[in-house]
Amino acid sequence: MNPDLERAARLYEEAAAELDRAARHCEVSAKHFRNGVVPRGAAHAWAALGHIREAEAHLQEQARTHAKRSTVD
Amino acid sequence: MSRGAYLLELGLVPYREAWDLQRSLAGAVSQGAIPETVIFLEHPPVVTLGRRTDEGELHVPEDAEVDVVETDRGGKSTFHGPGQLVCYPILDLRLHGKDVKKYVRDLEEALIRTLAPFGIEGIRFDGLTGVWLHRPPRKIASIGVHISRWITTHGYALNVDLDPAPFTQWITACGLDAAFTTIAGELGRPVRVEEVRPHARDAIAEVFGLELDALPADDGAGLWRQPIHAQLAAR
Repeated sequence: MNPDLERAARLYEEAAAELDRAARHCEVSAKHFRNGVVPRGAAHAWAALGHIREAEAHLQEQARTHAKRSTVD
Repeated sequence: MSRGAYLLELGLVPYREAWDLQRSLAGAVSQGAIPETVIFLEHPPVVTLGRRTDEGELHVPEDAEVDVVETDRGGKSTFHGPGQLVCYPILDLRLHGKDVKKYVRDLEEALIRTLAPFGIEGIRFDGLTGVWLHRPPRKIASIGVHISRWITTHGYALNVDLDPAPFTQWITACGLDAAFTTIAGELGRPVRVEEVRPHARDAIAEVFGLELDALPADDGAGLWRQPIHAQLAAR
């Protein structure tokens, strides 16, 4: 396996794991809001936001790597 | 100078949910998605084990209805239950001097200031983390923290009004052969966590220089303006 491709694959897996965590927090948040438990719902919503930012950071890292190596003909 | 921070008062939250939440909120604080955040809550009965817990500390009876959770915080074993005020500050120590020992001393200071309005004099003992009362020595609050990328999780647990027997009967809490007490036990009257929380809030705000912004959730409608609101509005 080309090590650069493996590195890219790992970054995408990490991004996917972060997005999974975000999704779980969103589900818990929805449950709490539906039950009128606003502070717990809000806390889980922010937790989701943190994971989305982490995922974004992974994707941007890969985008930067790609931009550095790509060439324009 | 005070800095804005969120204040979350979450009520009774199972330990694992609260731990997961803390770790995720720590990520959000680290990414700048939300400001520093202080959580106050209570846990259903749970024994938690820190990174330095010895095997012999745990002697929970088989019929005890209590969860046992291994955690990533420092320190030894402890017990949490309703009637104990738990505080989890999610702080960025790069804004508070990057000094872990000072952070723990500051948590102790916040606890000492929380007890003062009740006429209870909390003290520190050299070499022992937490807050104690003197003559005879008895522990009223425990501290255990975890720090990753300078973001703090875990925090303190202040015994307000609960049966302290599990600290000695179920575990050798904190690895110490010591007595444990509560605010209610010291005052000789029932004390609600809600009575203590405003003092705890003020003390944390003073010691860490935070302006705490509580979620106006009484009507179930109010939500804070968040940093992301401004970012979205600017697009």
